[in-house]
Amino acid sequence: MDSPRAPRADLFDPAALAALGRIEIIARWIVDGFIAGLHRSPRRGFSVEFAEHRPYQPGDDLRYVDWKIVARADRWVVKQFEEETNLRAAIVLDVSRSMNWTGAPTRLTKSAYAERLAAALALLLLRQRDAVGLVRYDETIRTVIPPRARMAHWQRIVGALGDQGAGLGSRADDALGHVARMLRRPGLVVLISDLLLETVPVEQAVRTLRAQGHDVVVLHILDPLERDLSAGGEAVYVDPETDVAVPVTPAEVRDAYRATVAAAIDEWRARFTVVGAAYATITTDVPFGVPLRRAFSSRERLP
Amino acid sequence: MSFLAPLWLALAAAAAVPLLLHLMRRRSGNRVEFPAVRYLQRAEREHSAKLRLRNLLLMLLRVLALLLIALAAARPITRLSAGGHPPTAVAIVLDNSLSTGAAVDERTVLAALRTQAEAVLASAATDDRLWLVTVDGEVRAGSASDLTDALAEVRPFDGAGSIATAIARAEGLVANAGIPARHIVVLTDGQASAWAASVALRATPVSVYVPAIEPPANRSVADATPRPARWTPRGAITARVATSDSVTWRVALGERTLARGIAGSGEELVVRGAPDERGWVAGTVELEPDELRADDVRHFALWIGPPVGVAVSAAAGPFAAIAVDALVQQDRAVPGADVIVTAADGDARLPAVLLAPNTPARVGAANRTLERLGIPWRFGPARTGRVALRGAGVEGAAVMLRYPLIPQPGAESDTLLVAGTEAWAVAGPRYVLLGSPLIAEATDFPIRAAFVPWLGETIAQRLGSAAGPVLAAAPGEPVMLPRDVDGMESPGGEARAVSGTIAAPARAGVYFLTRGAERAGALVVNPEPSESVLRRLDSEALRARIRAADLAITGDPATVVARAWAADGGRSAAGPLILVALGLLVVEAAVARRGKSGEASA
Repeated sequence: MDSPRAPRADLFDPAALAALGRIEIIARWIVDGFIAGLHRSPRRGFSVEFAEHRPYQPGDDLRYVDWKIVARADRWVVKQFEEETNLRAAIVLDVSRSMNWTGAPTRLTKSAYAERLAAALALLLLRQRDAVGLVRYDETIRTVIPPRARMAHWQRIVGALGDQGAGLGSRADDALGHVARMLRRPGLVVLISDLLLETVPVEQAVRTLRAQGHDVVVLHILDPLERDLSAGGEAVYVDPETDVAVPVTPAEVRDAYRATVAAAIDEWRARFTVVGAAYATITTDVPFGVPLRRAFSSRERLP
Repeated sequence: MSFLAPLWLALAAAAAVPLLLHLMRRRSGNRVEFPAVRYLQRAEREHSAKLRLRNLLLMLLRVLALLLIALAAARPITRLSAGGHPPTAVAIVLDNSLSTGAAVDERTVLAALRTQAEAVLASAATDDRLWLVTVDGEVRAGSASDLTDALAEVRPFDGAGSIATAIARAEGLVANAGIPARHIVVLTDGQASAWAASVALRATPVSVYVPAIEPPANRSVADATPRPARWTPRGAITARVATSDSVTWRVALGERTLARGIAGSGEELVVRGAPDERGWVAGTVELEPDELRADDVRHFALWIGPPVGVAVSAAAGPFAAIAVDALVQQDRAVPGADVIVTAADGDARLPAVLLAPNTPARVGAANRTLERLGIPWRFGPARTGRVALRGAGVEGAAVMLRYPLIPQPGAESDTLLVAGTEAWAVAGPRYVLLGSPLIAEATDFPIRAAFVPWLGETIAQRLGSAAGPVLAAAPGEPVMLPRDVDGMESPGGEARAVSGTIAAPARAGVYFLTRGAERAGALVVNPEPSESVLRRLDSEALRARIRAADLAITGDPATVVARAWAADGGRSAAGPLILVALGLLVVEAAVARRGKSGEASA
């Protein structure tokens, strides 16, 4: 990832990429690849203003190389910019038992995917000098890391991703309420969850956040099998959180199931759109660059 | 309703499979963790009523289809449908004996019988089972179309055949067809010789069709025999012609005419000759063709060659010497050393006709000679008392002193003559052994007229260089071949391997028996002379020969056809059931597809 010509990790198959190293390394590769992708993007990036120069490092965007200094002093420096606003962001991560599941051994569990996505997101924000915090929850709030803008803060966030979780519930509304109290001025809240929970409390919590001026991005994590029920034989299907069991022959209900899931997604999208939150569904087989790009493009579109 | 194959009803148990699957589908023990169960629940809730109805309908359709298939496999017979006849097993016994080859009004009797058979087959349905059985032992099975084609191939047999055997075989066929309705149709000319044996049937209805055709006058060659069977090289052909008027005849050896002339009724023909041919020769006695041509020719076979050189030792006695002299005078033997006739207790060698010793005191010496020569027989203690000698051509001869011939290991049971109940003359490779000396005190056989011919034939057949029998048989008759025969050459020249007991070929003619590359005898196949006597049995006589509970003998073609297909019962319902089952499966497929598309749209 040190070379500008290296393949972009944000476009790798998530499971294959995750197998290459620890979460910190993977997250860095993702972010490096993502930034390199932005270099080729017609968009100009976030709203920032020049602050100072620093020595060029491999991987730095060539757009920000100060060519005048290069020509005059043969010294490679890049221009550093400062945000117009000091953004405070919070990543709200669902770590309930339903997230700790995958429909195929060749894919990451929803938790593993979400953790790597959260790490990459945090790193990306920190590199933009945003302050980033983390809230992990299941049936209760498991981890709360207040937002900080220091790069060393990222290691704390990454370390917290391995904390205990997988509880038998998913209290996203509590977690979002905690975030509302934690972010004292308008900021960015990214909810990463499989949204296997009741809609109304979550909608209320998001509405509260929006009322406080926060930008809210909801990344709905789905395993492909959850989305289309494309495999599996006749069996009793058991909810790992509630232990509710349903005997099902997938071939018989597949179409109905897909319609139900589509309706649920539409309902979530409608509810979040009404309150002004961005919403995107992410399946665990898509490269990490996709949800990152959706998260930030959603943010750009926010009012 | 009845079933032709009720065991197939067990297939109905398969109908339980979709039923069980339907009942057990919600009892799967396989548990799978799936976080999005809430969506599954919602999908089930919204579609369960429709799914239940569709699954119930599919289950019912599948169960019903399987039940109908099982029912069809059991081949039900029902009276619900009208028209036609029930599935019937019909065997047509077609009399194609020699006499059916007689032409009347330029059409053979067999052609008339064939037409009747075609009429019966024309009314057959696809569910019927059909056979065609002919008196030559052929059995053909197939559809009405197959058997109609087969009928065209049926030719008159060269013999009487066995119509009783054909009928018994037909009953076995229809009885094992697994169809309750069965019938035997017998198509015959009623020839008396073909109906020599009677047949008893259990319960199968029989219709006998005898066309009202008067048999034509017939001429035939009743007998044709070469005398002796081995010409050296002189001999005679004796023949007897059955004719009511004079008829021209011809005797041929191979393709060459030996003699021809005109014979009257009952006249015996004798044609003498000393032909130039050598070896095994086939010949015929032929008459000018009449309405029944198959019996206008009769075949014979003979061997023509030099006589055997025979020597007689003094120990053999005067009768043997006189007999050999007579053979020499008749050119049936020549003085020579090919074969010796001698007493076994003397200085013997093979080939030989060995006589028992004149006195019991020499039995030991005789047995030592037999042992030295490797002959697996021994003389037993002398027995006295007059016993009749039995065997071909020796009637009236008796034996007063004899030594029972005791077989040793390896002895072949080729007995030529029997004294009382014991073998008196036996033959083996290169030897003929007699159980008595040829003296007046021991037997009067040497003074009988049959002795010289018997001795001549025995020496020629058993000990001559070109030994080999001439066997006679009617077509299809079982024939036991000599042990050393391994092949047979047809009149057309085709060779085939044969051994043991065979059925005589269906076609009349001379079939040479072979041993390796050499001819070793002949099988002469001629029709039974009785088959040439065209005499029909009347209905009563036929009825006496067929003992059946339901028997009709008629000359009316329509009656035979009507009776053949008039069995009580309904029609097979298998076809309609299969059609209904297929219809149900089509509906099942449509319901299954509609259900899926309905879910998709939902």
